[in-house]
Amino acid sequence: MTISFSINGERRTVRIEAHESLLDVLRREGFVGVKVGCHTGDCGACAVLFNGRAVNSCLVLAAKADGAEILTVEGLGTGDRLHPLQEAFLDEGGVQCGYCTPGMIISAYGLLSRNPNPTEEEIREAISGNLCRCTGYVKQIRAIQTAAERMRSGDE
Amino acid sequence: MGFDQVEIVLRPTSIEEAWTQLMERGDAARFMGGGIDLALFAPRSVKTLIDLADVPLSGIDEDSSGLRIGATTTMTEAIESPQLSSYAKGFLRDVLRQVAAPLQRNLATFGGTLASGHPWSDVVPALLILDAELTIYDGSERRLSLESFYGERAASGRSLIRAIHLPPIPEGGRGAFVSFTRTAFDVGMLNVACFGSVADRRWASVRIAVGGTPGLGTRLRSVETLLTDQAPSEEGISQAAEAASAAIDARDDRRASASYRRKLTARLVARCLREIGGLSKGGAR
Repeated sequence: MTISFSINGERRTVRIEAHESLLDVLRREGFVGVKVGCHTGDCGACAVLFNGRAVNSCLVLAAKADGAEILTVEGLGTGDRLHPLQEAFLDEGGVQCGYCTPGMIISAYGLLSRNPNPTEEEIREAISGNLCRCTGYVKQIRAIQTAAERMRSGDE
Repeated sequence: MGFDQVEIVLRPTSIEEAWTQLMERGDAARFMGGGIDLALFAPRSVKTLIDLADVPLSGIDEDSSGLRIGATTTMTEAIESPQLSSYAKGFLRDVLRQVAAPLQRNLATFGGTLASGHPWSDVVPALLILDAELTIYDGSERRLSLESFYGERAASGRSLIRAIHLPPIPEGGRGAFVSFTRTAFDVGMLNVACFGSVADRRWASVRIAVGGTPGLGTRLRSVETLLTDQAPSEEGISQAAEAASAAIDARDDRRASASYRRKLTARLVARCLREIGGLSKGGAR
Protein backbone atom coordinates (compact mmCIF):
# COMPACT_ATOMS: atom_id res chain seq x y z
CA MET A 1 0.00 0.00 0.00
CA THR A 2 1.03 3.62 -0.45
CA ILE A 3 0.94 6.22 2.28
CA SER A 4 1.71 9.88 2.29
CA PHE A 5 2.81 11.96 5.26
CA SER A 6 4.69 15.06 6.23
CA ILE A 7 8.07 14.42 7.79
CA ASN A 8 10.25 17.20 9.20
CA GLY A 9 8.19 19.66 7.17
CA GLU A 10 8.49 17.81 3.85
CA ARG A 11 5.82 15.79 2.10
CA ARG A 12 6.72 12.18 1.33
CA THR A 13 4.89 9.31 -0.34
CA VAL A 14 6.16 5.80 0.29
CA ARG A 15 5.20 2.22 -0.44
CA ILE A 16 4.82 0.13 2.67
CA GLU A 17 3.70 -3.33 3.65
CA ALA A 18 0.59 -3.55 5.84
CA HIS A 19 2.52 -5.23 8.65
CA GLU A 20 5.32 -2.69 8.94
CA SER A 21 5.81 -0.43 11.94
CA LEU A 22 6.45 3.27 11.54
CA LEU A 23 9.92 2.66 13.00
CA ASP A 24 10.81 0.22 10.21
CA VAL A 25 9.58 2.56 7.49
CA LEU A 26 11.28 5.68 8.84
CA ARG A 27 14.65 3.95 9.09
CA ARG A 28 14.29 2.52 5.59
CA GLU A 29 13.57 6.04 4.38
CA GLY A 30 16.87 7.17 5.88
CA PHE A 31 15.73 8.67 9.17
CA VAL A 32 18.22 6.64 11.17
CA GLY A 33 18.14 9.12 14.04
CA VAL A 34 15.11 7.06 15.03
CA LYS A 35 16.81 4.25 16.96
CA VAL A 36 15.82 0.62 17.30
CA GLY A 37 15.94 -0.47 20.91
CA CYS A 38 13.49 -2.95 22.35
CA HIS A 39 10.78 -2.94 19.66
CA THR A 40 8.26 -3.45 22.48
CA GLY A 41 7.55 0.12 23.51
CA ASP A 42 9.66 0.01 26.66
CA CYS A 43 12.82 2.00 25.91
CA GLY A 44 11.78 5.12 24.00
CA ALA A 45 14.80 5.08 21.63
CA CYS A 46 12.44 5.15 18.64
CA ALA A 47 10.39 8.14 19.83
CA VAL A 48 9.10 10.52 17.16
CA LEU A 49 6.62 13.34 17.30
CA PHE A 50 3.42 12.02 15.72
CA ASN A 51 0.78 14.70 15.11
CA GLY A 52 2.42 16.78 17.82
CA ARG A 53 2.75 14.04 20.43
CA ALA A 54 5.81 11.99 21.31
CA VAL A 55 5.17 8.28 20.72
CA ASN A 56 7.15 5.07 20.40
CA SER A 57 7.29 4.56 16.62
CA CYS A 58 7.76 0.81 17.11
CA LEU A 59 4.19 0.64 18.45
CA VAL A 60 2.67 2.61 15.57
CA LEU A 61 1.53 0.69 12.54
CA ALA A 62 3.06 2.49 9.53
CA ALA A 63 -0.33 2.56 7.81
CA LYS A 64 -1.52 4.83 10.61
CA ALA A 65 0.93 7.49 9.42
CA ASP A 66 -1.08 8.16 6.24
CA GLY A 67 -1.88 11.87 6.46
CA ALA A 68 0.15 12.34 9.65
CA GLU A 69 2.72 14.95 10.59
CA ILE A 70 5.94 13.45 11.86
CA LEU A 71 9.02 15.05 13.37
CA THR A 72 12.25 13.14 13.98
CA VAL A 73 15.48 14.39 15.52
CA GLU A 74 16.71 15.10 11.96
CA GLY A 75 14.04 17.78 11.70
CA LEU A 76 15.38 19.78 14.63
CA GLY A 77 17.80 22.65 14.14
CA THR A 78 18.42 24.48 10.88
CA GLY A 79 21.33 23.87 8.57
CA ASP A 80 24.51 23.74 10.65
CA ARG A 81 22.75 25.20 13.63
CA LEU A 82 21.65 22.82 16.38
CA HIS A 83 18.31 23.13 18.12
CA PRO A 84 18.64 24.60 21.66
CA LEU A 85 17.77 21.16 23.07
CA GLN A 86 20.59 19.52 21.12
CA GLU A 87 22.97 22.30 22.10
CA ALA A 88 22.03 22.01 25.78
CA PHE A 89 22.45 18.22 25.79
CA LEU A 90 26.05 18.78 24.60
CA ASP A 91 26.73 21.67 26.99
CA GLU A 92 25.40 19.83 30.04
CA GLY A 93 26.97 16.46 29.27
CA GLY A 94 23.57 14.87 28.70
CA VAL A 95 25.00 12.59 26.01
CA GLN A 96 27.25 9.64 26.68
CA CYS A 97 26.79 6.69 24.34
CA GLY A 98 24.11 8.71 22.58
CA TYR A 99 21.72 5.91 21.76
CA CYS A 100 18.83 7.23 23.84
CA THR A 101 19.52 10.86 22.93
CA PRO A 102 17.27 11.30 19.86
CA GLY A 103 14.26 9.77 21.66
CA MET A 104 15.01 11.73 24.82
CA ILE A 105 15.23 14.98 22.83
CA ILE A 106 11.95 14.23 21.02
CA SER A 107 10.19 13.64 24.36
CA ALA A 108 11.67 16.88 25.68
CA TYR A 109 10.64 18.73 22.51
CA GLY A 110 7.07 17.42 22.89
CA LEU A 111 7.03 18.72 26.46
CA LEU A 112 8.51 22.16 25.73
CA SER A 113 6.20 22.74 22.77
CA ARG A 114 3.24 22.59 25.18
CA ASN A 115 4.89 23.71 28.37
CA PRO A 116 7.80 26.15 27.86
CA ASN A 117 8.49 26.43 31.60
CA PRO A 118 8.19 22.91 33.07
CA THR A 119 8.99 21.95 36.64
CA GLU A 120 11.64 19.31 37.28
CA GLU A 121 8.81 16.91 38.09
CA GLU A 122 7.18 17.57 34.72
CA ILE A 123 10.50 17.00 32.94
CA ARG A 124 11.00 13.71 34.78
CA GLU A 125 7.48 12.65 33.83
CA ALA A 126 7.98 13.61 30.16
CA ILE A 127 11.11 11.47 29.79
CA SER A 128 9.86 8.64 32.01
CA GLY A 129 9.44 6.41 28.94
CA ASN A 130 13.02 7.01 27.73
CA LEU A 131 15.59 4.62 29.15
CA CYS A 132 19.19 5.75 29.52
CA ARG A 133 21.76 3.30 30.86
CA CYS A 134 24.69 5.75 30.96
CA THR A 135 23.89 9.04 32.59
CA GLY A 136 21.54 8.49 35.52
CA TYR A 137 19.23 11.16 34.00
CA VAL A 138 20.49 14.07 36.12
CA LYS A 139 22.43 15.73 33.31
CA GLN A 140 19.61 15.23 30.82
CA ILE A 141 17.15 16.87 33.17
CA ARG A 142 19.55 19.76 33.58
CA ALA A 143 19.99 19.94 29.80
CA ILE A 144 16.22 20.20 29.30
CA GLN A 145 16.02 22.93 31.95
CA THR A 146 18.85 24.82 30.26
CA ALA A 147 17.24 24.47 26.84
CA ALA A 148 13.91 25.64 28.21
CA GLU A 149 15.56 28.72 29.74
CA ARG A 150 17.39 29.56 26.52
CA MET A 151 14.27 29.06 24.41
CA ARG A 152 12.21 31.28 26.72
CA SER A 153 14.75 34.06 26.58
CA GLY A 154 15.10 33.61 22.80
CA ASP A 155 18.84 33.10 23.30
CA GLU A 156 19.57 30.32 20.88
CA MET B 1 2.52 -12.03 17.74
CA GLY B 2 2.36 -8.37 16.78
CA PHE B 3 1.86 -6.76 13.38
CA ASP B 4 3.92 -9.37 11.48
CA GLN B 5 1.06 -11.29 9.94
CA VAL B 6 -1.13 -8.26 9.09
CA GLU B 7 -2.07 -8.16 5.41
CA ILE B 8 -4.71 -5.43 5.20
CA VAL B 9 -5.31 -2.17 7.05
CA LEU B 10 -8.66 -0.44 6.62
CA ARG B 11 -9.56 3.10 7.67
CA PRO B 12 -13.36 3.44 7.85
CA THR B 13 -14.88 6.86 8.45
CA SER B 14 -18.07 5.84 10.24
CA ILE B 15 -19.00 3.38 12.93
CA GLU B 16 -21.41 1.57 10.60
CA GLU B 17 -18.70 1.15 7.95
CA ALA B 18 -16.28 -0.13 10.59
CA TRP B 19 -18.84 -2.67 11.79
CA THR B 20 -19.59 -3.89 8.28
CA GLN B 21 -15.87 -4.37 7.65
CA LEU B 22 -15.54 -6.42 10.83
CA MET B 23 -18.51 -8.60 9.92
CA GLU B 24 -17.16 -9.20 6.40
CA ARG B 25 -13.70 -10.18 7.61
CA GLY B 26 -14.78 -12.22 10.59
CA ASP B 27 -12.34 -13.54 13.16
CA ALA B 28 -9.31 -12.49 11.12
CA ALA B 29 -10.16 -8.82 11.74
CA ARG B 30 -9.64 -6.58 14.77
CA PHE B 31 -10.51 -2.97 15.50
CA MET B 32 -7.51 -0.78 16.26
CA GLY B 33 -7.37 2.28 18.51
CA GLY B 34 -3.81 3.39 19.28
CA GLY B 35 -2.59 -0.05 18.27
CA ILE B 36 -0.20 -0.66 21.18
CA ASP B 37 -1.86 -3.84 22.25
CA LEU B 38 -1.97 -5.19 18.70
CA ALA B 39 1.70 -4.29 18.17
CA LEU B 40 2.61 -6.40 21.17
CA PHE B 41 0.01 -9.12 21.43
CA ALA B 42 -2.02 -9.55 18.22
CA PRO B 43 -2.46 -13.28 17.65
CA ARG B 44 -1.19 -14.88 14.44
CA SER B 45 -4.74 -15.25 13.16
CA VAL B 46 -5.25 -11.48 12.84
CA LYS B 47 -4.81 -10.49 9.18
CA THR B 48 -6.94 -7.34 8.95
CA LEU B 49 -6.74 -4.27 11.16
CA ILE B 50 -9.60 -1.79 11.11
CA ASP B 51 -8.09 1.50 12.23
CA LEU B 52 -10.68 3.67 13.97
CA ALA B 53 -8.59 6.87 13.70
CA ASP B 54 -10.92 8.43 11.09
CA VAL B 55 -14.16 7.47 12.85
CA PRO B 56 -15.21 10.53 14.85
CA LEU B 57 -15.15 8.93 18.31
CA SER B 58 -12.77 11.16 20.21
CA GLY B 59 -13.44 13.87 22.79
CA ILE B 60 -14.84 14.43 26.27
CA ASP B 61 -18.23 16.05 26.92
CA GLU B 62 -20.03 16.85 30.10
CA ASP B 63 -23.75 17.18 30.77
CA SER B 64 -26.24 16.52 33.55
CA SER B 65 -25.82 12.77 33.14
CA GLY B 66 -22.10 13.00 33.76
CA LEU B 67 -19.02 12.70 31.56
CA ARG B 68 -18.87 11.04 28.18
CA ILE B 69 -15.45 9.96 26.98
CA GLY B 70 -15.28 9.04 23.28
CA ALA B 71 -13.63 5.67 22.67
CA THR B 72 -10.63 6.95 20.71
CA THR B 73 -9.77 9.63 23.27
CA THR B 74 -6.19 9.02 24.38
CA MET B 75 -5.04 8.77 27.99
CA THR B 76 -3.07 12.01 27.52
CA GLU B 77 -6.09 13.88 26.15
CA ALA B 78 -8.09 12.73 29.15
CA ILE B 79 -5.37 13.74 31.62
CA GLU B 80 -5.22 17.21 30.06
CA SER B 81 -8.98 17.73 29.86
CA PRO B 82 -10.52 20.22 32.30
CA GLN B 83 -13.56 17.96 32.71
CA LEU B 84 -11.52 15.09 34.08
CA SER B 85 -9.62 17.41 36.42
CA SER B 86 -12.82 18.45 38.13
CA TYR B 87 -14.53 15.04 38.00
CA ALA B 88 -14.30 13.15 41.32
CA LYS B 89 -11.63 15.59 42.53
CA GLY B 90 -9.35 14.47 39.72
CA PHE B 91 -9.39 10.82 40.83
CA LEU B 92 -9.37 9.25 37.36
CA ARG B 93 -6.88 11.81 36.03
CA ASP B 94 -4.49 10.89 38.84
CA VAL B 95 -4.87 7.16 38.13
CA LEU B 96 -4.17 7.72 34.42
CA ARG B 97 -1.01 9.69 35.27
CA GLN B 98 0.39 6.54 36.86
CA VAL B 99 -0.30 4.37 33.81
CA ALA B 100 2.83 3.65 31.74
CA ALA B 101 4.64 6.76 30.40
CA PRO B 102 3.69 9.64 28.06
CA LEU B 103 5.18 7.77 25.06
CA GLN B 104 2.45 5.14 25.53
CA ARG B 105 -0.29 7.37 26.92
CA ASN B 106 -0.09 9.57 23.82
CA LEU B 107 -1.21 6.54 21.79
CA ALA B 108 -3.36 4.48 24.16
CA THR B 109 -7.10 5.01 23.80
CA PHE B 110 -9.88 4.28 26.28
CA GLY B 111 -11.64 2.01 23.82
CA GLY B 112 -8.49 0.04 23.08
CA THR B 113 -7.64 -0.29 26.76
CA LEU B 114 -11.10 -1.55 27.68
CA ALA B 115 -11.38 -3.83 24.66
CA SER B 116 -8.03 -5.40 25.55
CA GLY B 117 -9.21 -5.73 29.15
CA HIS B 118 -5.88 -6.93 30.45
CA PRO B 119 -6.16 -8.40 33.96
CA TRP B 120 -3.40 -6.08 35.19
CA SER B 121 -5.13 -2.96 33.83
CA ASP B 122 -5.15 -0.07 36.30
CA VAL B 123 -7.87 1.67 34.29
CA VAL B 124 -10.45 -1.11 34.67
CA PRO B 125 -10.77 -1.11 38.50
CA ALA B 126 -10.68 2.70 38.51
CA LEU B 127 -13.60 2.83 36.08
CA LEU B 128 -15.48 0.05 37.88
CA ILE B 129 -15.66 2.05 41.12
CA LEU B 130 -16.92 5.07 39.20
CA ASP B 131 -19.84 2.89 38.01
CA ALA B 132 -18.73 3.44 34.41
CA GLU B 133 -21.05 2.48 31.58
CA LEU B 134 -20.28 1.91 27.92
CA THR B 135 -22.11 2.61 24.73
CA ILE B 136 -21.36 -0.25 22.39
CA TYR B 137 -22.29 -0.88 18.79
CA ASP B 138 -22.91 -4.32 17.38
CA GLY B 139 -25.20 -3.47 14.50
CA SER B 140 -27.26 -1.31 16.78
CA GLU B 141 -26.32 0.80 19.73
CA ARG B 142 -26.87 -0.03 23.37
CA ARG B 143 -25.64 1.00 26.75
CA LEU B 144 -24.49 -1.31 29.50
CA SER B 145 -22.34 -1.21 32.61
CA LEU B 146 -18.61 -1.90 32.25
CA GLU B 147 -19.15 -4.84 34.59
CA SER B 148 -21.76 -6.47 32.36
CA PHE B 149 -19.67 -5.68 29.28
CA TYR B 150 -16.96 -8.02 30.53
CA GLY B 151 -19.53 -10.54 31.69
CA GLU B 152 -21.31 -10.56 28.34
CA ARG B 153 -18.20 -10.56 26.24
CA ALA B 154 -16.91 -13.69 27.90
CA ALA B 155 -20.17 -15.36 26.93
CA SER B 156 -20.75 -14.10 23.43
CA GLY B 157 -19.12 -11.86 21.13
CA ARG B 158 -17.82 -8.84 19.48
CA SER B 159 -18.76 -5.23 19.66
CA LEU B 160 -17.32 -1.81 19.09
CA ILE B 161 -16.94 0.47 22.09
CA ARG B 162 -18.27 3.90 21.19
CA ALA B 163 -18.02 5.80 24.46
CA ILE B 164 -17.43 5.51 28.17
CA HIS B 165 -19.94 7.21 30.48
CA LEU B 166 -19.11 8.31 34.00
CA PRO B 167 -22.20 9.16 36.07
CA PRO B 168 -22.23 12.15 38.42
CA ILE B 169 -20.34 11.54 41.65
CA PRO B 170 -22.46 11.11 44.82
CA GLU B 171 -22.19 14.11 47.13
CA GLY B 172 -18.91 14.11 49.04
CA GLY B 173 -17.70 10.95 47.33
CA ARG B 174 -14.03 10.39 46.67
CA GLY B 175 -11.86 7.68 45.26
CA ALA B 176 -8.55 6.11 46.23
CA PHE B 177 -6.34 3.89 44.12
CA VAL B 178 -3.15 1.95 44.56
CA SER B 179 -1.28 -0.29 42.17
CA PHE B 180 1.44 -2.40 43.75
CA THR B 181 4.39 -2.94 41.43
CA ARG B 182 7.78 -4.55 41.85
CA THR B 183 9.47 -2.01 39.56
CA ALA B 184 8.32 1.20 37.91
CA PHE B 185 8.44 -0.52 34.52
CA ASP B 186 6.34 -3.54 35.36
CA VAL B 187 2.57 -3.76 35.55
CA GLY B 188 1.09 -4.12 39.01
CA MET B 189 0.98 -7.44 40.84
CA LEU B 190 -2.30 -6.23 42.34
CA ASN B 191 -4.34 -3.07 42.18
CA VAL B 192 -7.13 -1.75 44.37
CA ALA B 193 -9.62 1.03 43.75
CA CYS B 194 -12.11 2.20 46.35
CA PHE B 195 -14.80 4.85 46.31
CA GLY B 196 -17.07 6.12 49.03
CA SER B 197 -18.36 9.03 50.98
CA VAL B 198 -18.98 9.62 54.65
CA ALA B 199 -22.23 11.43 55.38
CA ASP B 200 -23.60 11.91 58.92
CA ARG B 201 -20.72 9.77 60.14
CA ARG B 202 -21.89 6.79 58.05
CA TRP B 203 -20.30 5.12 55.03
CA ALA B 204 -22.29 5.62 51.85
CA SER B 205 -21.83 4.66 48.20
CA VAL B 206 -18.95 2.30 49.06
CA ARG B 207 -17.42 0.62 46.03
CA ILE B 208 -14.38 -1.62 46.02
CA ALA B 209 -12.65 -3.19 43.02
CA VAL B 210 -9.55 -5.36 42.96
CA GLY B 211 -7.61 -6.28 39.82
CA GLY B 212 -4.50 -8.23 38.86
CA THR B 213 -5.43 -11.07 41.18
CA PRO B 214 -4.20 -12.09 38.48
CA GLY B 215 -7.74 -11.92 37.07
CA LEU B 216 -9.38 -8.83 35.61
CA GLY B 217 -10.58 -6.13 38.01
CA THR B 218 -13.83 -7.06 39.77
CA ARG B 219 -16.20 -5.29 42.15
CA LEU B 220 -16.41 -6.87 45.60
CA ARG B 221 -20.06 -6.16 46.35
CA SER B 222 -20.28 -8.41 49.40
CA VAL B 223 -17.52 -6.36 51.02
CA GLU B 224 -19.12 -3.06 50.00
CA THR B 225 -22.31 -4.12 51.81
CA LEU B 226 -20.38 -4.78 55.03
CA LEU B 227 -19.47 -1.11 55.31
CA THR B 228 -22.60 0.60 54.02
CA ASP B 229 -24.35 2.64 56.74
CA GLN B 230 -21.68 1.77 59.31
CA ALA B 231 -19.72 4.42 61.14
CA PRO B 232 -16.16 4.62 59.76
CA SER B 233 -13.85 2.89 62.20
CA GLU B 234 -10.52 1.13 62.18
CA GLU B 235 -12.27 -2.06 63.22
CA GLY B 236 -14.80 -1.88 60.40
CA ILE B 237 -12.01 -1.24 57.89
CA SER B 238 -10.04 -4.24 59.19
CA GLN B 239 -13.08 -6.48 58.81
CA ALA B 240 -13.74 -5.21 55.28
CA ALA B 241 -10.08 -5.68 54.38
CA GLU B 242 -10.12 -9.28 55.62
CA ALA B 243 -13.36 -9.94 53.77
CA ALA B 244 -11.84 -8.51 50.58
CA SER B 245 -8.80 -10.71 51.03
CA ALA B 246 -11.04 -13.78 51.22
CA ALA B 247 -13.31 -12.64 48.36
CA ILE B 248 -10.74 -12.21 45.58
CA ASP B 249 -10.08 -14.89 43.02
CA ALA B 250 -6.40 -15.16 44.01
CA ARG B 251 -4.06 -17.31 41.98
CA ASP B 252 -0.30 -17.76 41.56
CA ASP B 253 1.53 -16.34 38.57
CA ARG B 254 5.08 -15.21 37.89
CA ARG B 255 4.54 -11.89 39.66
CA ALA B 256 3.14 -13.10 42.99
CA SER B 257 1.65 -16.07 44.80
CA ALA B 258 -2.04 -16.35 45.68
CA SER B 259 -1.32 -16.09 49.38
CA TYR B 260 0.82 -12.97 48.88
CA ARG B 261 -2.01 -11.43 46.84
CA ARG B 262 -4.50 -12.08 49.65
CA LYS B 263 -2.24 -10.38 52.20
CA LEU B 264 -1.67 -7.49 49.80
CA THR B 265 -5.40 -7.13 49.19
CA ALA B 266 -6.11 -6.71 52.90
CA ARG B 267 -3.40 -4.05 53.28
CA LEU B 268 -4.26 -2.09 50.16
CA VAL B 269 -8.03 -2.14 50.68
CA ALA B 270 -7.49 -0.89 54.25
CA ARG B 271 -5.16 1.84 52.99
CA CYS B 272 -7.67 3.04 50.38
CA LEU B 273 -10.61 2.96 52.79
CA ARG B 274 -8.70 4.91 55.44
CA GLU B 275 -7.88 7.54 52.87
CA ILE B 276 -11.51 7.90 51.82
CA GLY B 277 -12.91 7.68 55.34
CA GLY B 278 -10.51 10.28 56.68
CA LEU B 279 -8.95 7.85 59.17
CA SER B 280 -5.26 7.96 59.79
CA LYS B 281 -3.59 4.64 60.46
CA GLY B 282 -4.15 3.62 64.07
CA GLY B 283 -7.43 5.29 64.81
CA ALA B 284 -10.22 7.65 63.92
CA ARG B 285 -9.29 11.24 63.25
